[in-house]
Amino acid sequence: MEEATAYLRDGVLSHLEKLEAHARTLALKQEETQQQQEKLARLRARVQELRLQRDELQTKVNLQQVGLIRQERGTGSNVEPIQAVEARGKALLKWEVENVKSMLQAFHLTGISGKLTKQGVCFCISTAYERTYLDSYYLDLLIQQPVQIRHHSVPIFIPLEEIAKKYLQTDIKRFLAMLSEHLNAYAGRKYQADQLQEHFSAFLEGTLQRNLLQNVLLFNYDVETESKTFPFRAKLVYGDVTRSLPTEAIITCKGDVSASLLEKTAAHSNLFCHTALHKAFDSFKRAAERLEQTA
Amino acid sequence: MLDNTGFTVLIYKLQENCAGIKQAAILDMIYNHTYPNKKVWTVYQMTRVAGEETDSLNLADFKYKFKRSLQTALKNVTINFREYEDNALWIRIAWGTQYTKPNQYKATYIVYHLQTPYVFISSLRSNLPLLCQALVHASNYHDIHEMELRSRCLDSLKDIVFKRYSQTFQTYHPRPLQERNVAPEKVDPRIIQENKREKERIQRVNQEVFGNGLQPKIEFAQYKLETMFKGEPEMDILTEKEPFRCVVKFSSPHLLEALKSLAPAGMADAPLSPLLTCIPQKARNYFKIKERKDILSASCLGS
Repeated sequence: MEEATAYLRDGVLSHLEKLEAHARTLALKQEETQQQQEKLARLRARVQELRLQRDELQTKVNLQQVGLIRQERGTGSNVEPIQAVEARGKALLKWEVENVKSMLQAFHLTGISGKLTKQGVCFCISTAYERTYLDSYYLDLLIQQPVQIRHHSVPIFIPLEEIAKKYLQTDIKRFLAMLSEHLNAYAGRKYQADQLQEHFSAFLEGTLQRNLLQNVLLFNYDVETESKTFPFRAKLVYGDVTRSLPTEAIITCKGDVSASLLEKTAAHSNLFCHTALHKAFDSFKRAAERLEQTA
Repeated sequence: MLDNTGFTVLIYKLQENCAGIKQAAILDMIYNHTYPNKKVWTVYQMTRVAGEETDSLNLADFKYKFKRSLQTALKNVTINFREYEDNALWIRIAWGTQYTKPNQYKATYIVYHLQTPYVFISSLRSNLPLLCQALVHASNYHDIHEMELRSRCLDSLKDIVFKRYSQTFQTYHPRPLQERNVAPEKVDPRIIQENKREKERIQRVNQEVFGNGLQPKIEFAQYKLETMFKGEPEMDILTEKEPFRCVVKFSSPHLLEALKSLAPAGMADAPLSPLLTCIPQKARNYFKIKERKDILSASCLGS
């Protein structure tokens, strides 16, 4: 009441204004609290919902575990426990990996295999000669127009550039096939010469001369006939570098040569042109052993 | 080359035994074949014109043509040949002039493998055009040029150009790694390697770049830079006016092995700059680096 009288002194209208403002602020506050209460109620309801969900899931999990244990104890054969499933998965994966590995190995053994790289392909040409696998040579190609050889491990004396010029841009398959032919023939010739040096050095006089491409071989070897040893000199020329047998075998014998010796040189020349070098010498060795046995 | 006094003594001894210049020259060649690392060898490559057929060359033909080509141009030369088992032909040339006899103390050595386009030359002080012409004529090639590849180790140079060193290729069928004699360190289990992953990554990247085997042995790598100086805009004395010329030379008793061990030793980031790692692949160890013309060009510009 004292306030009222104080306000009355200032003026009725101003008093009314002040009361209005007061009422407004009270109303706002009421609204606010109402909103907060609503929000709280909503959140509480949400919490209840989530709690219910959690309980549901929890019971589900419990049931499953219990159910499994019950089944394990009960039947035990039809449904497998989780660990067995995992183990089977691992075994399957292992089998798949082994499968892929052996497929890649099979591809590698065919002689030409490849692997995709970031910018192209890396081909691997494996060489082999008569059941023996020899060196592998690699070619890293950039797949773009024009196809480029980024780097390679092909020896310098194989005419890679020539073959590439002819076939690389037009027909990659043919390019690889030709290169594989060259490399395999080179590997075959080298293998024969190596075998000769390693296993039949007893027959050779002096050293076996060979050039880098292994396509010209020169050696001296002894031939025993008519109870005498004759020094034969052989020059094998492999005119076709894609083949591992010589195109020409020139056999000469120093000194006076009888007709039978001439026959022998011709026979040897023929032999070298049609049989692998180490096999030819193997036949010489066996012939010599037979002679020893009969003598 | 035997040093001057050595050669003189040799000549006297041989003269005592009635041997001649030829025997002395052959002995000189044998010495240099046994100790080729006393000289610096430069690699030259011969080229054919496109379309020319490669004839199979006879060694005797080559020697005859070479000798004749040189001797018709310059009468006072001593030429000796010697063949070795690995198909290498060693040629020793003692040069003279029109009026002087050949100087046996400063002979040039040439190594040539018949079915390859590469020639290794050392101790050549003059008469390069004459020698090049003789080589090209005798071997049925069209042209010869010097590769920017020099080293004291002749075998390593051969390894680089004949591609006999171990390169890594991406393959599904990895070649079996060669056993390395690494004694297992007695590691205290209390020591933990914090950077184990990073170390493994460095090892892997290093192996991808350098391969598993021993690197070819070269002693230098030289980079001539002709690039623009890129500095602070305030220092506008040097920026963007003229190329900043400088030469960077790396030297080591075995440069490539040293580069290979930089990243594992923690002294450089892996992967190393391709300028360093491209040396065996590009078969050169002298480079001229110019401004990059466009972003897409390779980062290893040769001259």
